[in-house]
Amino acid sequence: MLDPEGRVQSWNTGAALIKGYRPEEIVGRSIAVFYTPEDREAGRPAKLLALAERDGRVEDEGWRVRKDGSRFWADVVITALRNETGQLIGFAKVTRDLTQRVQAESEQRRLEGERIRAEEALRIRDEFLSIASHDLKTPLTALQIELYAMRELNETQRDERTGRKLTRASRNADRLAQLIEMLLDVSRIATGQLTLRRETFALAPVVEQIAETMRGSAERAACEFSFQAEPGAAAIVGSWDRLRIEQVVMNLLSNAFKYGAGQPVTATVSRQHGEGVIEVRDHGPGVPPADLERIFERFERAAPGRNHGGLGLGLYVSREIMRAHSGSISGRNLPEGGACFTVRLPIGSAPA
Amino acid sequence: MSPHVVSDKVLVVDDDDDIRDSLIEFLEDHGHHAVGAANGSEALALLDPPQSPPCLIILDLMMPVMDGSQFRDEQLQRPAVADIPVVVVSAYKDVEQRAHQLGAVQWLAKPFDLTALLRLVEENCAFAG
Repeated sequence: MLDPEGRVQSWNTGAALIKGYRPEEIVGRSIAVFYTPEDREAGRPAKLLALAERDGRVEDEGWRVRKDGSRFWADVVITALRNETGQLIGFAKVTRDLTQRVQAESEQRRLEGERIRAEEALRIRDEFLSIASHDLKTPLTALQIELYAMRELNETQRDERTGRKLTRASRNADRLAQLIEMLLDVSRIATGQLTLRRETFALAPVVEQIAETMRGSAERAACEFSFQAEPGAAAIVGSWDRLRIEQVVMNLLSNAFKYGAGQPVTATVSRQHGEGVIEVRDHGPGVPPADLERIFERFERAAPGRNHGGLGLGLYVSREIMRAHSGSISGRNLPEGGACFTVRLPIGSAPA
Repeated sequence: MSPHVVSDKVLVVDDDDDIRDSLIEFLEDHGHHAVGAANGSEALALLDPPQSPPCLIILDLMMPVMDGSQFRDEQLQRPAVADIPVVVVSAYKDVEQRAHQLGAVQWLAKPFDLTALLRLVEENCAFAG
């Protein structure tokens, strides 16, 4: 309670807890002591009392000061008290400490700000990927045209050594093109633009054809490579994106040749439980069990360190391609050693 | 509509000097005439008489001065050259969609397959010989 001049008349436990004063320390002192120096200078305590006197009641939110000088955000209600004749006899003042609410609000604002910044960073990254891959493709296009023309020229001149060099240079320009395409795929996935161009085709011949084109890679990795279509595989027909399926198979085979170099690699196509199944098995070190899920995430790869180059995007993109097909891709280690990657595709026409 | 006179000249429109020069040389190596333009505006100038119109236009999309789609608009407004087929080549990730919007006969995503390009030229142009 305050007297008509705003001096503390009585002091309860609640007020003592919030502001830290014992009754004998505060009774008789002006409420101005609870205000910040700025508020005191602005005459805020007196103004609030005047408003309470005029209107009967005033509510105010703002900083208040504890005995130890620390500040807290308070909600203060001051009510004018009058006797039967209407004469002002003092004020009732109730103070609530809102610091926690204000802190919670400020924390929420901070989190919201962080969320907006994180989204912005993702947007900038995807835009960067898109622009960077566009810009990288331009010189690569010129390079590939020249390499192609040089290989043609050399076909008439038949210089074996030059031929080998041009083959290697072309192969690496192609690899560069694939890497750039993969960066673009990541940006497409992130922006929801990975769309399928479905056509109906038989799975086994397509996988076999890719296996054939990858023979050179198998030889360079000294992998004995075999492809097998199991009985009944010829009947596996579905509505899929041919180029995307080829991309997944190429990715699995190049991984097998990379991690299982010098050891046999097999690829099979079979029908299991009404699904088209492609399996690629190698005899490399296998994948640490803890990493079997992680390797399908972005920028992850099982073998840490610098043994193998690459961004580790291939399996991530493959997984997204399989998801878009309502299929799946998974990896497991084989009891006899090595890893096995399995792709499952729904057979038949595409879901509407 | 008067039947399109098949010429043996390919117009290569690309602002990248190296791509343009290597494409022209590549087409010449395969027995075609080829001329280059560094943007849509230069390309339009090459379509005007007294020059003979090209049999095929290989069109990049993103170019300074006048880009591929602006060029295509201008081309379609000129009856004498509106029917010349256009192949869109671009490193844009949505090259197919853009090519479709522009009414191109075909599209090639950079870096492109040169055998596919040769096939398109052979389908649309007479051999110079």
